[in-house]
Amino acid sequence: MSIQEHYRSRAKELLSAGTVKMVIGYGAGSTPDRRRPVFITSPDEADRLVLDTTCRTNLSGYLLREGLLSDQKQVAVFLTVDGIRSLNVLAAESQLDTSQVLVFGFGIEGDQARAIEGERAADFKSVIAAAKEQRKSQPADELQEKLEAMTPKERFSFWEGEFSRCIKCYACRQACPMCWCRRCVVDNNQPQWVNTSSHTLGNLEWNLLRAFHLAGRCVECGNCSRACPADIPLHLLNRRMADEVQASFDHYPGMDEAQEPVLASFRKDDPETFIL
Amino acid sequence: MSEVFEPKIVAFVCTYCTYAGADLAGTSRLKYPSNVRIVRLPCTGRISPMFILKALQKGADGVLVSGCHPGDCHFDHGNYHARRRWTVFNSLLQFAGVPEERVKFSWISAAEGIKFAELIRDITEDIRKIGPFEEYHTLIAETGSAAPL
Repeated sequence: MSIQEHYRSRAKELLSAGTVKMVIGYGAGSTPDRRRPVFITSPDEADRLVLDTTCRTNLSGYLLREGLLSDQKQVAVFLTVDGIRSLNVLAAESQLDTSQVLVFGFGIEGDQARAIEGERAADFKSVIAAAKEQRKSQPADELQEKLEAMTPKERFSFWEGEFSRCIKCYACRQACPMCWCRRCVVDNNQPQWVNTSSHTLGNLEWNLLRAFHLAGRCVECGNCSRACPADIPLHLLNRRMADEVQASFDHYPGMDEAQEPVLASFRKDDPETFIL
Repeated sequence: MSEVFEPKIVAFVCTYCTYAGADLAGTSRLKYPSNVRIVRLPCTGRISPMFILKALQKGADGVLVSGCHPGDCHFDHGNYHARRRWTVFNSLLQFAGVPEERVKFSWISAAEGIKFAELIRDITEDIRKIGPFEEYHTLIAETGSAAPL
C-alpha cells in the first residue's frame, strides 16, 4: 500500500471514530505539480488527500488558526521532520498543546515520499536528533558561500538589489508557522520602527527584523522563500541565523516541546568573541 | 566645497555601568570626541536590535552598544540575555553587509572612565577613516523622509 493510501485510510478511520475532528493535509492544486492545503472534516472527503514529492509546504502553522484547538479536540496534520520541529517550537512557546495534535509524519527521499514512524510529536525524538547531526555535516549553500566570500560592501549591494524587489506583501510572514504574534512589530505605528512603504530601506529593515525574530526558532522549512512573489532568497538569512545559533549555542530548534528558546535563555560561558 | 566629515555615532548604554563610566570620564575631565550621542537605558537587556536599525535609519554612521561586564549586571542577568541577542544580531548584520566597524559592542564598568574615553576615540577615528555610511544614506534619501540626527 502506498503511503498516500495508508494515510487516506488512517484519516478515514480517525474521522469516522471521532478521534480527530479535522485532518490538515495536501490536496490537488491549480497545476499538476502544485499542492494546496486541504482541511478534511468528514471521512468521505479523505480521498482528496494527496501525498507525494510535491508536498513541500509546512502545514503546522494552520494549527494556530483562531479557536481551532480551543475545544480540546484533536487534529491530525501531515508533517515532515521540519514540520514536527516547528510543532515542538510552537509547543515550547506555549502556542499549542501537542497532546491535541496527531502527526502524519512523512519524509521526501529522492523521488518518493515515505512515512515516518510515530504519531505524537514526542515519538520523533530520534529522527530529529538525526536531523541535527545531519545539518552539521550538510554542505553549505552555494550562494551563501559566495556571499560569505564577498566584501561587506558587495554583500550590502547584493541584499540591496534583492530587497529592492520586495513589495512588502508580508507573504513571508503569513506563510511562516513561527510568525504567530497577534500584532506584528511592523504593524505598530507608534513608534514606527520599520518604514512601511516598500522602498528599499524599509524592505531591508523588515527583512532583517524578520530574520532576527526567527533566530533560533526557524526550522528552515522554506515556506518563506516559496511564498515570496519576488523570489528573494529569504531562506539564506534564516540559514545564516540557524548556523549561528548552532555554532555558538549548540541550539537546534524544535528538539522537543520542553526546549528553552535560545534567545530567552543564557549560559554564563556563552562566547563573546566580538565584544570589546 | 567639501566639508570635513564628522561621524555621527549613537551609543546605547546601560545606566548602571557604561553611563556611569561615561560620567566618570566627564568628571575626570578626560577628553573624548563629541561625535557620540549617548542614549541611556535601564539595562543592556533593554537594548533591542531595533534601536540599532533605528539609529542607522536616522543617519548614524556608527553605533556603539555597551553595558555592564558579565556578572556585574544590576539586574543580575540582563547582560547575559543581551549578549546572546548581540551575538545573533551581529552575525546578521555581517551577513547583510553592514561593515563591522559600524556597529560595536562593549562592556564598560562604572570604574572604566578611561576605557570609555579611549573606546569613543578609537571608534570615532575608525569611522572617520571609512567615511560616512554612504550605502545606507542613499537608501534613506530614497525614502524622502530623511530625519537627520
